[in-house]
Amino acid sequence: MADTKHAVRGEPALATPPRTSRARRSARARLTPKLGRFALFALPGLLAYGLFVLLPILMTGYYSFTNRNPFNPPTEFVGFRNYVTLASDPEFLQALANTVIITLIVTVLANVGGLLIAMLLDRPSKLYLALRGVFFTPVVLSSVVISVIWRSVLTDDGLLNSALRGLGVANPPGWLSDPELALYSIAWIITWQMLGFCVVVYLAGLQGVPRELQEAAAIDGAGGLARFRNVTWPMLAPALTINTVMLLITGFKAYDQIQVITNGGPGTGATATMAFQVVKEAFVGNRIGYSSALAAVMLALVAGVSVVVLRVLQRREVTR
Amino acid sequence: MIDARTHAWLRPLVAIFVGAAFFLPLYLMLVNVFKPGEEILPSPASLPLPPTLENISGVFAREDNLFTFGLVNSIAVTALSITILTVLSAMLGHYLARSTRLFAKVLLVTLLCGLMIPIPVILSPVTSVLKAFDLMATLQGLVLVNVGYYVPFGVLLFMGFVKGVPRELEEAAELDGASRFRVFWQVVFPLLRPASASVLIFLGVWIWNDFLTPLIVLGPDSGTTVTVGVYRAIGQYESDFGDLFAFMFLATLPILIFYLALQKNFVKGLTGGAVKG
Repeated sequence: MADTKHAVRGEPALATPPRTSRARRSARARLTPKLGRFALFALPGLLAYGLFVLLPILMTGYYSFTNRNPFNPPTEFVGFRNYVTLASDPEFLQALANTVIITLIVTVLANVGGLLIAMLLDRPSKLYLALRGVFFTPVVLSSVVISVIWRSVLTDDGLLNSALRGLGVANPPGWLSDPELALYSIAWIITWQMLGFCVVVYLAGLQGVPRELQEAAAIDGAGGLARFRNVTWPMLAPALTINTVMLLITGFKAYDQIQVITNGGPGTGATATMAFQVVKEAFVGNRIGYSSALAAVMLALVAGVSVVVLRVLQRREVTR
Repeated sequence: MIDARTHAWLRPLVAIFVGAAFFLPLYLMLVNVFKPGEEILPSPASLPLPPTLENISGVFAREDNLFTFGLVNSIAVTALSITILTVLSAMLGHYLARSTRLFAKVLLVTLLCGLMIPIPVILSPVTSVLKAFDLMATLQGLVLVNVGYYVPFGVLLFMGFVKGVPRELEEAAELDGASRFRVFWQVVFPLLRPASASVLIFLGVWIWNDFLTPLIVLGPDSGTTVTVGVYRAIGQYESDFGDLFAFMFLATLPILIFYLALQKNFVKGLTGGAVKG
């Protein structure tokens, strides 16, 4: 890793000066134009990125200021009207709240659970290696598959409630049918799927904590908790950054579970998220203009929150 | 914190208990794949004794061929997408890691922005672009969307590895008269094997499991992927968990095998590189 950083820092120095007398530098300078021609081979990738990511982003931005609806032409420019409507649209406000709740629960629960389980499994033996595989399995599975499995567990007459009735609970909760509960069930399912990711990242972090540091702290009389707070936890800062950003983005774009399990319900939008609303407005309601404004707000939120959190957490990594 | 010495027996016990509780939903799916439909609701958690293959064969025998067609589509889309993505992002990542031009830096930042964009945000215009090229509801269209959407991730991963390949190696080959193209394919690319394996694993799993993009891009009329097939099968199997679980099991198996096979290769690639380096 040290080499990599060195190479990065070295680059600008090679680029900026005009051709100097130093032979090494000019040899490298000669390589650059050839690299340029070589880059042509990568053009197809850039073209696909431009056509299917950059252009659509610009189109989303543009449509958000129109009343575009393919079944209701003509498309007219409406200024900020879509955004104004959004601000007082109860469906949007609920989707925003739902998305924030899901994101917060997933980010906190998966981080805490992931760390605890990683500490539990941080021992060199076959058993713990196998268990790591167990926790990681859902990460490799499709969220559609996971949604269907959990739906069969949590549905009213599902496996969990059958078991609860067997234990003598007369009226087990409607995990997915109660509008008060369904959102938390969805958040739980996403947490369950992401947990293994956090476990693996934290385990990698834990294995980077030098044993000598732990031992030195123990000799100095630090108890388990003090050792964790002052030695282990600061060393886990990069792992926390990766997990938190990953979980934030996952929570913010939650869509699959809602589409598969609740279709936004029960009731009116009890589990609808922003991603769900964007897709619903665009492909069910055909209100492309309105959906684009929603999408723009969603993108601004994801980008804003990720950048701020990334900054804060990375500063923590540096200062320790 | 658990004191390791006095409670040495506690840790494996707790670990096994937590692991088992976590695995329970997956266990329920697995055992019920091999159980006759009428036994599932009365005794969902029991072992499938004797195991039956009737759920599995039922999935293959579907009249609408939802699984078999979906499987062929998924394999085609995933294999094509990740092959193209590996080649393109390796070349692009190499260029961006080595070039010192302002253009390259701007390009890099533009690409990295793409990492944050959730697919629902761009999906509607993506369908407009696909329609303009007459690629809507085609596998080629889906592959192209995948390539565009995932190329930033591939580039990011390859860049990290390219920086670990000594520049001198490329310069030496160049002085020996090899073309840039040859230097890349015969000197650099083989050294990037761990990166290629990572890109193949990550993107293979993501693209195979993708739900929303194929759902919208392939549309309701033409064939679809296995992952969307699971979603389509839900309504039809409302009462029959055995068939639905068998469908999901079969839809997951190929990507799980792919993941496990490449993961080994990934480790080998890492150690191979270490010895040579």
